[in-house]
Amino acid sequence: MDVRFVQAGASFEGRVAVHPSTLSLSERRIGIIGLNGSGKTTFARMINGLVQPSEGLVTVDGLDTASDGDAVRGKVGFIFQNPQNQIILPILREDIELGLRSRRLARSEVQARVDGVLGRFGIAHLADRRVHELSGGELQLAALASVLVTEPALVILDEPTNQLDLRNRRLVQETIDRLEEHVLVISHDLELIETFDRVLLFHEGRILVDGPPDDAIGRYREIAAC
Amino acid sequence: MLNSLYVEGDSRLHRLPAGPKLLLVLLVSLAVFLTRSPPVLGAGAIAALGLYASTGIGARAGWLRLRPVLLTIAVVALATVLLGSVEEGIVALLRLTTLMLVAAAVTATTTVGAFIDVVSRAARPLERLGLVRADDIGLAVGLVIRFVPEVLSRYDVLKQSHRARGLRLRPTTVLVPLMIQTLKAADEIAAAIDARGIRAHKQPTENQERPT
Amino acid sequence: MSSRDLVLAALFAAIIVALGLLPPIMLGFIPVPITAQSLGVMLAGVVLGARRGTIAVLLVLLLAAIGLPVLSGGRGGLAVFAAPTTGFLIGWVFAAFVTGYLSERFVRSSQGAIAQTAGFFVAAVAGGVVVLYLFGITYLAIVSGLGFEKAFIGSMAFIPGDLVKAGVAALAGRAVMAGYPLLPARA
Repeated sequence: MDVRFVQAGASFEGRVAVHPSTLSLSERRIGIIGLNGSGKTTFARMINGLVQPSEGLVTVDGLDTASDGDAVRGKVGFIFQNPQNQIILPILREDIELGLRSRRLARSEVQARVDGVLGRFGIAHLADRRVHELSGGELQLAALASVLVTEPALVILDEPTNQLDLRNRRLVQETIDRLEEHVLVISHDLELIETFDRVLLFHEGRILVDGPPDDAIGRYREIAAC
Repeated sequence: MLNSLYVEGDSRLHRLPAGPKLLLVLLVSLAVFLTRSPPVLGAGAIAALGLYASTGIGARAGWLRLRPVLLTIAVVALATVLLGSVEEGIVALLRLTTLMLVAAAVTATTTVGAFIDVVSRAARPLERLGLVRADDIGLAVGLVIRFVPEVLSRYDVLKQSHRARGLRLRPTTVLVPLMIQTLKAADEIAAAIDARGIRAHKQPTENQERPT
Repeated sequence: MSSRDLVLAALFAAIIVALGLLPPIMLGFIPVPITAQSLGVMLAGVVLGARRGTIAVLLVLLLAAIGLPVLSGGRGGLAVFAAPTTGFLIGWVFAAFVTGYLSERFVRSSQGAIAQTAGFFVAAVAGGVVVLYLFGITYLAIVSGLGFEKAFIGSMAFIPGDLVKAGVAALAGRAVMAGYPLLPARA
């Protein structure tokens, strides 16, 4: 899994959200931290092509996010902040199946994969439940399942523990730790990323620190204090 | 909650595919207007009642389900009697009741999924006109069913907060936040749909062009 | 159609369905309960505009047609469309379109509150009353054999209530435009 930014930046309506930068991301566990509005979410969305660079180029395993967006999104899964906005069909199983629709697999294959991914996160018993009845923690796991059913190589998680209580927070942390896929986590929850391979600190659209977690976290605390 | 009006069963109508059944409703809706004869319409109404009964829905449930529609039909038939003639009233009553019964029989013997398949297939020719994408129909229907309970929950929360502040429920103080809060989620839901490639072959939601 | 527009229409359809499931809301100064679903149609136009508002209404009707009890009172299924009042249901589609079209054409964020409210009111009346009743009464006239004039007289009693709804829709439309404007519809 090789993500490259080549002088890539993004602007909206004249305002620069992410200043152009050149870097390469290939570590297994990458964290992104920063104040609200620092550009971290925009940066993350540039990786799966939801935001196309206003200048420069972003590639994922050689694929251009601007011209090969669909292929890129097949390799990069994205979990958004509010899991209830991620599951979009009324019965959980149907929603998970939706991710496989474009693959044209046999019915039995689809069922096997859905059962597999639900079992992996321990929510197989919720498969035929109404999504509305699921708890916050269950929804977060369901969102993970919905994205991982297509077996992406990289999973981006935007504030995955944002609205969770302590127990669910631990559950999500353990789940992330066990993921074999490459993971990129945007998080205010510093405990989540402190053991990661690499952490980027965003500030006003620029990458202020790019290195070991301690460095980024330390600098982040300084910024947040003033 | 939103439980479909499909009734489990194995009648002949159950076994007929959705497409022909919809055609049947269409044909009946035309046929009832081809005649003004009360005896003919009466026979038709009885046949329609038989069809409805064959679905296995049962007398009580069958009646309750049709009561609201029958009410409007009765009111209109009565008005027709008063403002027109007794015969005109009876004709109107029989026509509408026949159509209603056939329509209800088809609804009771066809699942939501079967309907969606038929509608999606019918929409495919329109895809070429660029009007609609067939797959979007099933997705949109699913989205609505998925989020109705969320809207109702939000209403409950708004109601509670009104109570807590001693405010009476007013359209503007309830409907406006209800709409805004619900619609604000659209951006993230749409992004999640695009991120999962559910509607692939389409542009993502944001920044569709690269500025020169 | 962008995913965002599709979702906005679907969410609004969910709102219209929910409005059919909720008890009527009282309007303060007039002791009249506002039965919300037809209000929802006008709201779809003033909030989402012509295209998305119309799709929202079409979705609600599609859900009803395929056998879900989404119309107020828990009504659903094809039988609902056999009723003599079906013209009003079909009219919903055109009402939302006209209300949406006029809203997009004549109401701007830059206008003052009163101008916006007035604009939305005209749009809501044109669509939600004039166009809606045109379809409703015509269909009723044909299907009952009553003829246009008598069908009109029969439906007249509901017009004042719907004018009040148009007023509510206008106020709500203005408030939404102030809080979370979705018009003009961006690509």
